[in-house]
Amino acid sequence: MRGYVRPGTSQPAWLFPFVAIVVLILSVLPLARLAITGIAALAKGGVGAVLSDPALWSATYYTLVTAVLGTLISLAIGCMFAFLLTLTDIRAKGVLSFLFVLPMMIPPQVTALAWVQVSGPSSPLLKALHIAPPLGSPQPLYSVGGISLLYGVQHAPLVYLALRAGLMALPRDGVEAARLAGAGSFRVFRDIILPLSLPGIIAGAAISFVSCTGNFGIPAILGIPASIYTLPTLIFTKFSAFTSRTFGDVAVLSALIAIISVAGLAIQDRALRGRDYRVLGLSGATAAFELGRWKFLVQPPLWLCIFFMLVAPFFALLAGALVPAYGVPLTFKTMSASAFHEILFRQAVTRTAFANSLSLAAGTALCLLLVTVLTAYALTRRKDLLGRIVSSLIEIPYSLPGIVMAVCFILVFAAPLPILHVTLYGTIWIILIAYLSSFFAVSLKPVVSAFHQIDPALEEAARLSGAGFFRRLADIIVPLIAPAAGASVILVFLIACNELTISALLWSAGTQTLGVAVYNLDDSGSSDLASALSVLVVLMVVFMMLLLELMAKRLPRGVVPWRN
Amino acid sequence: MKTIVSAAALLAASLLAIPAPAANLVLYTSQPNEDAQATVDGFMAANPDVKVDWVRDGTPKIMAKLQAEMEAGNPVADVLLIADTVTLERLKEAGTLLAYKSPEAASYDAALYDADGYYYSTKLITTGIVYNTSAAFKPTSWKDLTKAEAKGLVTMPSPLTSGAALIHAQTLAGVGSLGWDFYKDLAANGATAAGGNGAVLKSVASGEKAFGMIVDYMPIREKAKGAPVEFVFPTEGVSAVTEPVGILASSKSADAAKKFVDYVLSEKGQEGFLKLGYIPARNGMKLPEGFPARDSIKVLPVNAAEALKTTDQDLKTFSGIYGSN
Repeated sequence: MRGYVRPGTSQPAWLFPFVAIVVLILSVLPLARLAITGIAALAKGGVGAVLSDPALWSATYYTLVTAVLGTLISLAIGCMFAFLLTLTDIRAKGVLSFLFVLPMMIPPQVTALAWVQVSGPSSPLLKALHIAPPLGSPQPLYSVGGISLLYGVQHAPLVYLALRAGLMALPRDGVEAARLAGAGSFRVFRDIILPLSLPGIIAGAAISFVSCTGNFGIPAILGIPASIYTLPTLIFTKFSAFTSRTFGDVAVLSALIAIISVAGLAIQDRALRGRDYRVLGLSGATAAFELGRWKFLVQPPLWLCIFFMLVAPFFALLAGALVPAYGVPLTFKTMSASAFHEILFRQAVTRTAFANSLSLAAGTALCLLLVTVLTAYALTRRKDLLGRIVSSLIEIPYSLPGIVMAVCFILVFAAPLPILHVTLYGTIWIILIAYLSSFFAVSLKPVVSAFHQIDPALEEAARLSGAGFFRRLADIIVPLIAPAAGASVILVFLIACNELTISALLWSAGTQTLGVAVYNLDDSGSSDLASALSVLVVLMVVFMMLLLELMAKRLPRGVVPWRN
Repeated sequence: MKTIVSAAALLAASLLAIPAPAANLVLYTSQPNEDAQATVDGFMAANPDVKVDWVRDGTPKIMAKLQAEMEAGNPVADVLLIADTVTLERLKEAGTLLAYKSPEAASYDAALYDADGYYYSTKLITTGIVYNTSAAFKPTSWKDLTKAEAKGLVTMPSPLTSGAALIHAQTLAGVGSLGWDFYKDLAANGATAAGGNGAVLKSVASGEKAFGMIVDYMPIREKAKGAPVEFVFPTEGVSAVTEPVGILASSKSADAAKKFVDYVLSEKGQEGFLKLGYIPARNGMKLPEGFPARDSIKVLPVNAAEALKTTDQDLKTFSGIYGSN
C-alpha cells in the first residue's frame, strides 16, 4: 500500500488532490476567467470608456443606496423578531418563527410580484375592496424606497437567523446574576444581552447587505419599469442588447459588484474584531424575560408584521391569478380559474420549469453531498496553509452574488470545450455547474461542523484494526455525519429550487427554471399567468418547509434553521 | 477505489436523467406566451412527429440571445417567428437564414414575402392607441397624446424591447407632420417608454396610465374579456409589422422547420392566428372580431431598406429622448 496512504495521516494520497481539482474547476477557473476578460476589456477599450459610462455609476449608486436601506429595514424587523421570539415567553413561537422565515425561501421575484399586486391602482385586491388609488397614480413600489422595503422583507429572516443563533448561546447565569444584583429588565437587556448579541447582529447585517447587493428578482420587477437599474439588472440588460463589447463590459460590472460585496464583508470583519466573546456557563436562554401584561402590546404588532409580509401579498397574488383580464375588479362573478388552467394544462413551459428546477436542485444537492463529504474529511485533517487556502476558495463563489458567478461561467463556457468540442453554453449543464460552484459553501458548512464533532480516536481505532479508507468512511464517518449531511442536502435543494439570479443569464430553450418562467411570464405582460405560477411555487415551498418541520423531530438540533 | 468509481457512475447516470430538451425543433418567437403555445400546439397537432420547444421574448431581446449563442458557436433556435421583416432582412444579408420556397406562398401577396424565400409574413399587426375607459377624453389622433389632459398619463413600449415599437417609431418619425419632434413633445408631456406591449396593456388596463401606444390585437382581445380598455386607429394612420417566419441556416432540423413554415402559412395555421385575434396575412381570410373593415385601416408606409440602415441611429435617438431603457 505504499503511495496509497500518505505517511503520517490516515487519508489516501489522492484525496487532497481530488479536492484541489474540484475547487480549481468550481472556483479558480471561473474567477480567473472573469479577471482576465475584465482586464482585457479595460486595456482594449481604455479604462475611460468603460468607467465613464454614466449608467454604470448610477447603477452603482442605486445598488449601494438600496442595499444600505434594505439592510437597515431587515435589521429592524429581524432584530425585533429575534429578540422577542428567543428571549421572551411570547405565545405561538414555533408558528411565528416558521411564518417569519418563509419569505426567505420564496423566490424574490415572486415576493416582488405579490407586493406589486398589493399596492397601486393595478391591485386586484384593492379593487375588490374598492380602495384602489385613482387613475394615473404611480405604483409606489416602483421606486428606490419600494426596492429597499422589499429587500428588507426578503432578508429580515437572514438577520433573524444569524442573531437567533447568537442569542441561543447566551449564558443564562449572566442574566440571572444581573437579576439577583437587582438589575431591571431594561438594564439586563442593555448591559448584558445587547453587547453579547452584537456579533450576531453584525453578521446578520453583513449577510443581508451582500444579499441585497446581488439581488436580481426584486430590482428586475420593481426597478426596470421606473428606469432604476442596479448593477445586477444592468448586467442583465447589457446581455439583452448584445454587442461585441458586451462580454468585456459585463466583466467590469461583475467585478464592481464583487468589490462592493467584499467591501461589505471586510467592514463586517472589522466590526467583529475584538468582539469574539467566548461565553461560559449554561447556554440556552429560554424565556429570559416574562412579558406579563406587555404580551398584549407586543403580540399584535408581530402578527401584523406577518400579515403585511406574508398574508396580504399572498392573497394579492391569488387575486391577481383569479381575475379574467387586467383591470377587471375581482368579484365572485368575475373570478376565473382560467390562468391556473392555462398554466397547469396548456403552457408547456410550466412542466419544463418544474422538471428543470427540481432536477437541477436534486442534482446539485446530491453531487455536492458526495464532494462535500470528501472535502470536509480532507480539510478537517489538514491544518496547513494549503488547506486554509482551499477552504477560503470554496467560500468565495458563495459570498459573491449569483449574477457574478453566472457571468464567470458564461465566459468560461461560451466557446466550445477544448478537445471534446462540446458547447455547454445554452445547455442545462452550465446551470448545474454554476449551482455547484455557488452552493458548495452552503453544503460544506454543516458537514464540516459535524466532522469537527467526531472523535478522531474512533476512526483511528478502525484504522488500527485494518479498515481501509472506504470501509472507515462507510462504517464510521458516514453514519456519524448523516444528520448534518441530510440537512445540507435539504438546504441546498431549497435554495437551488427557487434560484433566479444565476439561471436568468444561463437559461435557454428547454432549460428554463421556475424563477425564469415566472420572470418571463411577467415580463411578457401575462401577469395573471405569472401570478398563478407564483401561487404554485409558494405552495410548493410551504409544502417542502412543512415536510422539514415534520421531519425535524428526527433531526439533530439546529438542522432546521427556524426551530428551537 | 471501486466504490468511488461505481458511485461516480451512479451519479453520472442520475445526472443523465435530467431532462435534456427533448424537442427536435426550437422556435424563438415574440408572440405572447399564450399565443406562442397555441401556435405550437396547433402545429404539433398537425405534425405529431415533431416536438417543439419555444422561447418567448421581445424581438430585440430574443435577437440578442440568438446573437450571444451564435458568438458562443451554439445557436439553439431553428425557426424564428418575430415582429418585423427588417430584422430578418438583416439576418438574410448576414447569411444566417436558410432559403425555402414554401408551396403556400402562392396564396400570398408578393409584397408579403421575400422573393428568394428567406422569410414570409404571417399576419398584419398594426400599432395604434389604447385608452382606459375611465380616461378623461377619447383620443382620435397621435397628436392628442401630447395634449395637456394626457400629461403624465401616456406610456409606450420601448423599441429596445419590442420589434413592433421600433418599426412604429421609425414609421412615425418618417411622417412629415409627426417626426421625432412628436416623440420629444410626448416626452415633454411626461410620457414613459419601458418594456414591451404587454407592459403597456397592463398599465393602461390597470389604470396606472390612461393612454398607450400598443399593437392592435392585445386591447381588442382584452376588451372582449371585460377589461376596461378601448383601441383606436388614429386619424394620421397606423404603423404595421407583419410577423415574418424564417429558418436559420444553422438549423439541424431543417425539414421540421420547413414543415413549421408551411403550417403557419397554411389556411389552418392562419385560422389559428385569426382565432387569437390577429389579422391573417393570407389572401381571402376574414378579419377577427372587433376590427373595422380592412380598407378603412390606413397603414402608414415605412421604407424597409432605409429602416435597416438607420436602426442603430434611431435607437440612439429614441434612448436619447427617453433615457436608456
